[in-house]
Amino acid sequence: MFVEFKHSLRNYAGQIAGWGFGLALLGVLLVSVYDSFADQMDMYEQLVESFPQEFMAFFGDLGGMATPEGFVAIEFFSYMPLILGIFAIQAGSGLLARDEEEGRLDLVMAHPVSRSGLFVGRFLAFLCALAGILFIAWLGIVGPMNWSSLSLGWGEVARPFLSLYAEMALFGALGVLLSMLLPSRRLASMAAGLLLVASFFLPGFATLNENLETVARFSPLEYYQTQEAFAGLNREWLFGLLAAAAVFALLSWWRFVRRDIRVGGEGGWRLGQMIPWSSRTE
Amino acid sequence: MEHVIDIQGLVKWYGSVQALRGVDLKVQRGELLGFLGPNGAGKTTTIRCLLDQIRPQAGSIRVLGLDPQKNPVLVQRQIGYLPGELSLEGTLKVSQLFRYLIQLRGNRTDKAYLKELTRRLELDTSRKIKNLSSGNKQKVGVVQALMHQPTLLILDEPTAGLDPLMQQEVYRLLREAQSRGATVFFSSHILGEVETLADRVAIIRQGVIVEEATPDQLTEMAMRQVHVSFMDPVDLDPLRALPGVHVLAESDGLSAQLRVEGEMDALIKSLAGFPVKDLQTASHSLEDIFLKYYEREEEEA
Repeated sequence: MFVEFKHSLRNYAGQIAGWGFGLALLGVLLVSVYDSFADQMDMYEQLVESFPQEFMAFFGDLGGMATPEGFVAIEFFSYMPLILGIFAIQAGSGLLARDEEEGRLDLVMAHPVSRSGLFVGRFLAFLCALAGILFIAWLGIVGPMNWSSLSLGWGEVARPFLSLYAEMALFGALGVLLSMLLPSRRLASMAAGLLLVASFFLPGFATLNENLETVARFSPLEYYQTQEAFAGLNREWLFGLLAAAAVFALLSWWRFVRRDIRVGGEGGWRLGQMIPWSSRTE
Repeated sequence: MEHVIDIQGLVKWYGSVQALRGVDLKVQRGELLGFLGPNGAGKTTTIRCLLDQIRPQAGSIRVLGLDPQKNPVLVQRQIGYLPGELSLEGTLKVSQLFRYLIQLRGNRTDKAYLKELTRRLELDTSRKIKNLSSGNKQKVGVVQALMHQPTLLILDEPTAGLDPLMQQEVYRLLREAQSRGATVFFSSHILGEVETLADRVAIIRQGVIVEEATPDQLTEMAMRQVHVSFMDPVDLDPLRALPGVHVLAESDGLSAQLRVEGEMDALIKSLAGFPVKDLQTASHSLEDIFLKYYEREEEEA
């Protein structure tokens, strides 16, 4: 398991650097423009007051941008699930299915490593890679704060990152699960991506349409904490997301240890295999 | 333990397609068994069941006395495997791939033997895999299967893409592995390879083992082409009446082209009563035997 973890983490090295330093650069830019933004706060407040109520309801408390927390939350964290979700879903859906579809898993699995060990090693590597990306991004925000009037503590900035981590772990695990159930990794990515986008917009629409509130409660991003996280995290929400990610990961593992490994290019619906009394499986 | 591989009644469905229809096969310790069959006959499916990469719907498998579904790690520890469609991580160097695979085996690999293998197969381990030719990638596959000196080698078309010189080197390596006590189970499309290398051949057709024999036994079972010429015109009806003898062509009773299945004894005795001028026989190779089964499959289809 450790060998597979180490090997997978090394394979993530490029992505950790690329995503991490890309987001860190964005953080540096945001912190560096904060001072000039703060100088024009009066103009911004006038602009926000002119927005229609529906617009404000959809996008949330835009007026909160007048505070350092609000500025970082809106300019960085608000859209981050969509950006980093690309990595999480791609990495999750490709965790095992990429090697499987490219015919590489056969060789690995002919070595003395259990399916469980392979799964756990790779999934832990994904979680570590995600943590690495967010850590570098966090450094990109807290590092240049000394040269800016953006007065936030390092711990305060870390809290929304924790919430973002839980969200991305959940969508990554969802990607793994879908790749275990759907005929191809591409289809799994598409389905998980669709759910991510729907989840991103649903809470906003729910503020405009009360009928959507019930549905929005099932949206993972309803529990995403940004501006409010600076003051303190809602731990129930955070651990709830992590628990959901763990459930998806467990279901994925359950499928992986029971199902056939496809040879390169072979695909097929596996939903039928989940029926225990099905006499014929793929 | 008598049999290194013991497969009984193996059935495998892929959706509505039945790939294996009750495969029964035993491989003895120290044996070099060639597994022969046309594309889609079930060779790779059988091999992947042995490695617990796919699960059969019925039947039982014992590999080295163990059930691969219940003890996959114990089985895999003693196996060297070369997949039929080898795919490797292109971004790694050959040496990095070997290091990774050795680590997966708990570092139980003789480095000196690995070096010898790469030298004998003329494999440059400093090159990136994506820059290797298909033949060199196949060498990587052969080396990784052999490098830990496994008890059982399962090789799906081991010489695919290799030039004739390298094919010969692989044959030597497999014989050396066998002489060390390893059992070799390999599939192949190259009939000459099976004929020269295997102690025993199993032919699979439409998911069923249709023949198991040594290459010599198969050749003996084969049809022979016999050309007889006579000093005077003769009536060939007595020859036509012989079991297993078919007259393929004749020329005014002065010569005949015959096909003989099984023993030649009855034909020779019958020909004793004819004014035979010349007799030529040609025994068939394993390729003919294989094609016989293949043709039968087409006829049935």
